[in-house]
Amino acid sequence: MTFAPESFRDNVSQALKDQQLRQNIKGATDYFAANRQRTVAADEHFEQLREQGRLIKQRCLAKLPELLEQLEHKLTANGIKVHWAQTTEQANETIAQLLAQHGATRAVKGKSMVSEETELNDHLNARGVETLETDMGEYIVQLEHERPSHILAPAIHKNKVEVAQIFDKHIEGLGYTEDVDALILAARHVMRDKFKQADVGITGVNFAVAQTGTLCLVENEGNGRMCSTVPDLHIAITGIEKVVESLSDIPPLLSLLTRSATGQVLSTYFNMISHPRKSGEKDGPKAVHLVLLDNGRSDAFGDEAFRQTLQCIRCSACMNHCPVYRRVGGHAYGTVYPGPIGQILTPHMQGLDKTQDLPTASTLCGSCAEVCPVKIPIPQLLLRLRMFAQMPDKDEKPVVAGQGAGRKSAEAFIWWLWRYFHQSGRRYRLLTYMLTKMRWALPRVIKPWTDSRELPTVAKMTLHQRVKQRQRQQGAKR
Amino acid sequence: MNAKQAILAKLKAAQGNRAMTDLPDEPDYPLSQLDSAEQYRQWVELLERNQAVVIETVAADIAEVVTQQMKRLGLKSLLYGENTPFAAQFKAFAAELEATAFDFELDTQAKAFLFEQVDAGITTCHSAIAALGAIVLWPDKNEPRTLSLVPSAHFVVVRREQLYADWPTLLKQQQWQENLPTNVLLISGPSKTGDIQQYMAFGAHGPKHLIVLVV
Amino acid sequence: MLAAFICRKLNSMSSLPLRLYPAKPSKVYLYGTCLIDSLYPDSGIAAIELLESQGIEVIFEQAQSCCGQPPYNSGYAHQAAKVAEAQVALFPLPIPIVVLSGSCAGMIRHHYPELLIDHALGAFCERVFELSEFLYHVLNIQLKDKGAPERIALHTSCAARREMHSHISCQKLLQQLTNVTLVEHQDANECCGFGGTFALKHGDISAAMVQDKTHNLLSVKVDRYVSADWGCMANINGALAKQQAPLEGMHIASYLWQRMGGEKS
Repeated sequence: MTFAPESFRDNVSQALKDQQLRQNIKGATDYFAANRQRTVAADEHFEQLREQGRLIKQRCLAKLPELLEQLEHKLTANGIKVHWAQTTEQANETIAQLLAQHGATRAVKGKSMVSEETELNDHLNARGVETLETDMGEYIVQLEHERPSHILAPAIHKNKVEVAQIFDKHIEGLGYTEDVDALILAARHVMRDKFKQADVGITGVNFAVAQTGTLCLVENEGNGRMCSTVPDLHIAITGIEKVVESLSDIPPLLSLLTRSATGQVLSTYFNMISHPRKSGEKDGPKAVHLVLLDNGRSDAFGDEAFRQTLQCIRCSACMNHCPVYRRVGGHAYGTVYPGPIGQILTPHMQGLDKTQDLPTASTLCGSCAEVCPVKIPIPQLLLRLRMFAQMPDKDEKPVVAGQGAGRKSAEAFIWWLWRYFHQSGRRYRLLTYMLTKMRWALPRVIKPWTDSRELPTVAKMTLHQRVKQRQRQQGAKR
Repeated sequence: MNAKQAILAKLKAAQGNRAMTDLPDEPDYPLSQLDSAEQYRQWVELLERNQAVVIETVAADIAEVVTQQMKRLGLKSLLYGENTPFAAQFKAFAAELEATAFDFELDTQAKAFLFEQVDAGITTCHSAIAALGAIVLWPDKNEPRTLSLVPSAHFVVVRREQLYADWPTLLKQQQWQENLPTNVLLISGPSKTGDIQQYMAFGAHGPKHLIVLVV
Repeated sequence: MLAAFICRKLNSMSSLPLRLYPAKPSKVYLYGTCLIDSLYPDSGIAAIELLESQGIEVIFEQAQSCCGQPPYNSGYAHQAAKVAEAQVALFPLPIPIVVLSGSCAGMIRHHYPELLIDHALGAFCERVFELSEFLYHVLNIQLKDKGAPERIALHTSCAARREMHSHISCQKLLQQLTNVTLVEHQDANECCGFGGTFALKHGDISAAMVQDKTHNLLSVKVDRYVSADWGCMANINGALAKQQAPLEGMHIASYLWQRMGGEKS
């Protein structure tokens, strides 16, 4: 598979034929969905919590620039340095320079989708920095030189047997075993060594609290704590939309995140970092930095409807429930963020021209919106993106980069013609009358429909005609 | 214009739309309605569901219970924080347990010791949250952050009166926003991962064992 | 850019408030939908017979065409808006508009306000009902089952489920039929893969989805399945026919009318 949204169709074709992949993805997403359902069903307040989450995020987004300034001010006062990056290149360069300044060449990484977005590892590797992924799922995909296929559980496209083969190939002295406890223990040993020796830990951030200047990390494994505690330098990177206003905003958002993601009441660890190591303290990084990344988020921010895309707290519930994701898996999208959230976010990051197939790859079934903890109206945002894909921006500033890229004059004409015949009752009845008269002359093969389905037959008389006929018959009876 | 100025300028320019700021009132977080005894039961149930071990004991018996548990798990060496209540107690068990104080800075040599020689760490806690099944740590000079992270077993001593019904109540009563320390940690169980075909394995990177001593 | 201004106020489909239903009316408008019009008019007639049997006068506006979902879903909101406007103008009387599809009902009730943003459609949208919703909640219909015993499954379209809650009203209606056993199929709430133009634009994904849906329906060994949406059924029936599988779907209007002993129209 090629990692690019332009390769979506080819990737999908490949993925649909891969029965093992489909089984792996379905097993994992069924599991996540069932766990979520169990926890949600037991919580009578969950709908109210979703509404609270939606409004908290909308409030924080309404104040985004002020909160970002406050966050920087507080973090700086706490001794945590803040860096801003408009582009992924700027983010990578900033981090590379920090590492160079500190003479750091061995990095351990906690799971950070934003660092995938910037392709940080490649950038650092090219500059002689070793970057070991320490989240178990990320570690597995790194061994295979693959990207994560899910934003929470990076390796769900692999089953136990496949992981056993990967570990056997890459971990010296382990041998082949399908015993998951043994596999995890082996990985644990490899990584403990690395944690001990690392000069820098790089992590993401789940929530950045402006009120107190605090970086919050959610995890189950403990590698995030390792990365942000053991090495002398900690660098965190996140998107500008992750800032929240107050500490009191955290409990509801965290509750929504853990329940929606894995059905947990609380993750194993919730880690709140407000300072580098203070004098007298015995451990913790001596220097902590935060990199704030834009990369298209400020573009989405500018549109009233698209701004809701930034409410996302990266729980992955949308993709776990998406009938498309569940059949093709995350790699097929060719984007950092797969599934429904990826489909509405990536066009702002890469432009509608490069992501033409993403907004249309949905039946708008609404499963995603139903489970989104912060009520992002994903189907409607997909529709809005479809609208902009058909609409060149002429001389105005585009709302979404690459606007109009999907426009085909043939399709525009078809819909013009469709409107012409449907706007007037008379023209419509003429059209449908013609259809009934031509029913046997209509094409028998309409690809791709007829590849797997029979075509319906046009009726002898339309409902309009039948109703008229029925009225005449009833009139005659009287 | 540097990156910060450019980003902020763009965001501020797009802020004008009042429709996006006239937001309805936010519903309140549903607070716990449980009484003290129910809260405790809820907290223990959540911890045990996450494979934490919960042992009710008294302060005077901590060292004895810890020694028993270490034996059960086949562990030998324990690390505890300076100026914490256990130090004196552990001396009595010196024959069965190698208990030392975390009285060093975490440099390269100390990291080797911590990662390779220490089987378990014991800490007190700051508070606990019933509705989340959580134990709250505020690591400090005496009980460093790695004490509850690196060793493969973590013993934590929780006093019953440290238990709060839910987190918003705790935040409100203690006013955390006034004085957050370097690090605050919520823990709900031993380290785990389901990353290999959803099979739940424990002790991924953090402690494989979380033993909660309730006094 | 006029079009950019429409669809900027999005209705949150999440947790729709509970609906207040009116008392039984003496007459209603019927919205047949374009699919039923050209492809499955029998269901339209069955719906009229069903409603008339309950003492309701059914008004069928001959100028009605399509709710506008096809261009709307393809990004041609401005074309959809013109047709939507024309539809709205056809139903001025303050009486219910009974729609024979969950997705069309959802389009008119929930998405017309996004499409026709300056049109104050509040009262109009309140009059829009999906058929099963109308039969169950407004008419409080009492169904007498005159048919032979059989097992059936229910397929609810995604829009019907999430926008009109038709899965509940359909289920309640079918459960009234004493000789009918309603069987639940696996992943019942997962999409069948129709999605209108999706089936053409992403045919392979659509095929995979309908494959799973037909498999799940066939696995519960029912005599037939019932649905409130012909869009889904064109998809599912089409796939079942291609597989030469012994299962076919019926629209709920036709099915209920038949079970009540109504003449097959």
